[in-house]
Amino acid sequence: MGLMSWWRATIAGLTRRKRVEEEMDEEIRGHIRERAEDLKRAGVPREEAQRRAKIEFGAVERFKEECREERGGMWMETLWSDARFGVRMLRKSPGFTASAILTLALGIGANTAIFSVVHAVILRPLPYQAPERLAMVKEWIPKAVPDPIPVCAPDVVQFQTQNQTFQSLAGFWGTTFDFDDGGKPTRLTVERVSASLFATLGTQPLIGRTFTAEEDRPGHLVAILSYGFWERQFGGRREVIGRSVTLNRQPYVVIGVMPRGAVFPVVGMEQGEAADVFIPMAFTPEELAGVGDNFNFSVVGRLKTGVSVEQATADLQKIARQIEETTYPVAVRSQIELNALALPLTEQVVGKVRRLLLLLLGAVGFVLLIGCINIGNLLLVRAADREREIAVRLALGASRWRLLRQLVAENLLLTLAGATLGLMLAYWTTDALLALMPKDVPLFHEVGLNLAVLGFTVGLAVVTGVAFGILPVLTGSPRDVNEALKEGGRTGTEGMEHQRLRGTLVVAEVALAMVQLVGAGLLLRSFQRVVETDPGFRPEQVLTASLSLPGSQYKEEAQIKSFYQRLMQRLRQLPGTKAAGASTDLPLEAGWTHLFTVEGYQPPPGAELNRCNHSVILGDYLQTMGVPLIRGRYFTEQDNEKSEHALIVSESLARRYWPKEDAMGKRLKWGPGDSKDPWLTIVGVVGDVKPRGLDLETTPHTYEPYLQNPGDSLNVAVRTPAEPGSMAAELRAAVWSIDPHLAVARVRTMDQVIRESTSPRRFGLLLVGSFALLALLLAGVGIYGVISYSVMRRVHEIGVRMALGAQEGDVRALVLRQSAALLGAGVAIGVAGALGVTRLLESFLYEVKPTDPLTFLSVVLALAGVALMACWVPARKATRVDPVVALRYE
Amino acid sequence: MGEQAQILQGTLDLLILKAVSLGPLHGYGVLLRIEQISRGALLIEQGALYPALFRLVRQGYLKANWGTSENNRKAKFYELTAAGRKRLRAEADGWKRLVEAVGSVLGAEAEEV
Repeated sequence: MGLMSWWRATIAGLTRRKRVEEEMDEEIRGHIRERAEDLKRAGVPREEAQRRAKIEFGAVERFKEECREERGGMWMETLWSDARFGVRMLRKSPGFTASAILTLALGIGANTAIFSVVHAVILRPLPYQAPERLAMVKEWIPKAVPDPIPVCAPDVVQFQTQNQTFQSLAGFWGTTFDFDDGGKPTRLTVERVSASLFATLGTQPLIGRTFTAEEDRPGHLVAILSYGFWERQFGGRREVIGRSVTLNRQPYVVIGVMPRGAVFPVVGMEQGEAADVFIPMAFTPEELAGVGDNFNFSVVGRLKTGVSVEQATADLQKIARQIEETTYPVAVRSQIELNALALPLTEQVVGKVRRLLLLLLGAVGFVLLIGCINIGNLLLVRAADREREIAVRLALGASRWRLLRQLVAENLLLTLAGATLGLMLAYWTTDALLALMPKDVPLFHEVGLNLAVLGFTVGLAVVTGVAFGILPVLTGSPRDVNEALKEGGRTGTEGMEHQRLRGTLVVAEVALAMVQLVGAGLLLRSFQRVVETDPGFRPEQVLTASLSLPGSQYKEEAQIKSFYQRLMQRLRQLPGTKAAGASTDLPLEAGWTHLFTVEGYQPPPGAELNRCNHSVILGDYLQTMGVPLIRGRYFTEQDNEKSEHALIVSESLARRYWPKEDAMGKRLKWGPGDSKDPWLTIVGVVGDVKPRGLDLETTPHTYEPYLQNPGDSLNVAVRTPAEPGSMAAELRAAVWSIDPHLAVARVRTMDQVIRESTSPRRFGLLLVGSFALLALLLAGVGIYGVISYSVMRRVHEIGVRMALGAQEGDVRALVLRQSAALLGAGVAIGVAGALGVTRLLESFLYEVKPTDPLTFLSVVLALAGVALMACWVPARKATRVDPVVALRYE
Repeated sequence: MGEQAQILQGTLDLLILKAVSLGPLHGYGVLLRIEQISRGALLIEQGALYPALFRLVRQGYLKANWGTSENNRKAKFYELTAAGRKRLRAEADGWKRLVEAVGSVLGAEAEEV
């Protein structure tokens, strides 16, 4: 049949369907009538003639069905009639339909929501041209810091000019500037970038132009705005080009605006947030002189076509060796071994979160699987109930293929309805999901419903519909029509085959739920451990804010010092203040890593370099944070520019270098032993503070008095007996009373700082935990379904038992035993499965083993509890069976 | 009815085309004519006639029109189209050749092989 005639038949089949059906009926009726009349003429009595005519014709419905198929144009019609029949069947059992659709909606909705995040974060490419050819360039001093680090300023230039493998290379460095538009000063994220950055990324400005090479030298106040900032601040007006914006109290001329979506930098490239404004890197002569110092600058490069990351790394290593030999002082050279490498950009950005997201996708997949098992179970029950219907339809001439198609159509209706509802759920939950999302998830694409997500959902619906639809048909299609019709009689018990399959499904369900719960349990225990970890300070009742004095205004060190000293005074005088101080960095957000030399200490050969986190502190910072003093004293105002250089060290540092001695009075200095830096004398030892995360190792820490090493940026901290958030207005007022144009940024309580640091864990735990609870609930429903159905089927048997003298307890035990057997098998398999799967979780755990017996035990107890609850109702129902009624049923 | 032969798969179409080639017929008429021509030697499952008729209509070898039967009842009459006539000829030739071939095989004597 040609395509056209096929199509015509399809259309005709649809439009004339009713008439064609009537004509077919009429034709067949006519045939039988004529036959009967012929027989009558041959002398057969009228009724007998009619009977014989019908028998001779054969199975009318079967031939009609064959006719329909021969007529062509059937498929649409069959689909339509299958669908209508499906809707009718589903409406006949609203309870089943509702619970199935709801289960599917939950399962598919959760999967869709998670997938939409996975799609936006992992599957979509970075928002730059040909991102697979972009690589981060890092330096690496394994002797000092185990991980690769950013690049120091003179080396950025060396890499840019010496390399053979990159098409272009660009440095960038994120900082914050105060932005003043006449209202309240705010803090912006400003990215200093090489002029070559935009060419490297392959990003064209939306309007205006990018930086010229000339502007990449000191003295040019030009700026390019990000799309977001442009929209926010200038309402997307194009006349912004040529206007000036006041950044750190200096006028910058706007020369361009970046296109929407070209977010830079994204998480993973460097710390900090996406830039609001770009300004030229324009390295200062001081920066370029800092050989082997301040490894601050991130570098991204575009590989030449056909060059691999390995080739680029080899190239960079060669340059690094040259740099070390030709520019580094001999003393430094002996201490470090400068290395360099290229890292694929996508891996840098997505690598860390990929595992978390895939874990979530796996967990949410489990939920859907359990949901499908539940529905499969329900379908089996229905298949058993419908065995008679199916047998009758087979007897009337329906083909098995047609029946199968019918059942699949019914299931597809279910899953598509579930998917629709699920999509709505996903749509509504996406915002909540995004609010929970930790900051280290790189979100440069909008998370939401798009074609790919829609395709995923529909695909999921179809696969689940066909999969759990076919299962009961394959195992449960009636073996023999006669058998089925007989078995479908009043006293029929469910086929053994069905019962066994349903049991197996529940066991599988319990096992899956067990694995999921163990996973969630381990994450929960880890989270507990993390939160219970002593951070080394007392976070409650402390408010902090970040200040940065613009160099254009505060040119002299004396001005800077005076500002902060006055601020400390003001803060101390506030009525709500118990203590006030300031530090270059806050606990959990350690900034600098310093290398140092200890006087009179010979490191064992092959030892790593001495390094510590370092903070410069002002006022009563340690007291404000509640870091306990162990030996010696805190700093006072007497630790100033006139006095001896003083240092406070953490307990772990003191223990490491002077395990048996008193650290007080000992000295150390930054850099190698022959550096020009002064010796610093230890005047106090304080407790260890978690530098980067509650779940990360404590590292040695040093504190230096601000007056001996002043700088323009500090985090101020205030301890108050009241609720710390209520101090925010007073804190701002205190700052603005000294300088009304200074932005007071990142006003947070220390509790918030802790929450932020644990947010990835909280995110994972919350999602995996809720999926596990969902799994538990579904497993409970599954057990309930099977047990209560089996009780219903065994009413007769129970009646007999009770008539023969079985007590209530015996009957209850009968039901519970069945449930216990299912649970036991499920738990056994689940434990084995969990032991296998939780090993994948290891990197997400903290101070909890993947085999943690307590977790396993609690999960088993929880499952047992749910199973008990699930079979309580059916068990009670079983004991209420009245033998007289049950037997009268016979 | 005497001895009856089951219809070979695929030959039903040929028989229908042949029956209809002698003049338009309704479904029951086709049945009667085949029985009549074959003198009752061929057994046709009556219901099976209809899927075959529908198939031939769809393939364009037959066309169907509603008319009135001998008993003055509304009935659907089938007649051969040009394509159907061609098909009948081709099928009939093929069938004859097959019958001759099978016949000569079955009738072969030992020496002839």
